[in-house]
Amino acid sequence: MPNRASASDARRVSPALVVAASWLLPGLGYVLLGQRTRGITIGVTVISLFIAGLLIGGVRVLEVPGYGPHGKPVMAYVGGSGKNNDPLYYVFSDIPTRDTDRAVLEGRAIFLHPMDELRAKPWSIAQVMVGPIAFIGGAAAVSASQRGAGEAAPGARSHSRVNEIGVLYTAIAGMLNLLAIIDAQSRASEATQPAAPTREAR
Amino acid sequence: MMLLAAAAAQSIGYRPFLDPMWGAWSDGVWPFLLLPLCVGVAVVYKSIKCRSMRDVPRQAASITFWIILGMIIAGALLVAIVKGIDHSRR
Repeated sequence: MPNRASASDARRVSPALVVAASWLLPGLGYVLLGQRTRGITIGVTVISLFIAGLLIGGVRVLEVPGYGPHGKPVMAYVGGSGKNNDPLYYVFSDIPTRDTDRAVLEGRAIFLHPMDELRAKPWSIAQVMVGPIAFIGGAAAVSASQRGAGEAAPGARSHSRVNEIGVLYTAIAGMLNLLAIIDAQSRASEATQPAAPTREAR
Repeated sequence: MMLLAAAAAQSIGYRPFLDPMWGAWSDGVWPFLLLPLCVGVAVVYKSIKCRSMRDVPRQAASITFWIILGMIIAGALLVAIVKGIDHSRR
């Protein structure tokens, strides 16, 4: 990569610290490496894209693994006896339904079947790469989904294109921050490695 | 400016973060929402790639143009393919 900044420009900082800082606050890893303009540019852009996604689609574009559309923990229910005519089946739901009435409550889905929960909400993996701001947004999404007795949920759920674009903004913000984390870690690693011997030194 | 935006949002009943963006965006205008996303992707990508941050604005503008042009060409090709398939079935 001929036009990439060289490691000699960077300060010597532990790569693990750079990764942690970059995730905690997008762009902070570059600031630790002494590349303030780069860090601020990337941080402001990533956070702006994430917030723009929430403004476009509403905070409920963030689907939190372990929580359902009603803002309650998703529970796993198991039904059937497991015999030939009556095979076992699972139901995941955050509210009682006709299907859950016929099944036995097993426990919280996120602990018992975490991969199923993540598979059901794959965008959350990208969104969480933005850092703690995604957790704050997720908590707000759960809170905005909870409805009181006889009341509508305070946050409206978006549909169609607006939802798709909101999800796209938040997920791409996360993926861009992941790219920046990997790059900052690489620069930190190169800066901490001893310099290769020159032709004269050999 | 902020007060104007807040007044405009209140007049159409839009609650930031709680409501999705109002109706007009969901119809014919939604593709324009992809433009800021293209700019953001270009800025972050070029901030990572460029040695000097002075090159970023020019390079990001260039790559934004190519992303948008690529999306327009891909969209036009898909429309042509769908219309072609539709035409051949009739």
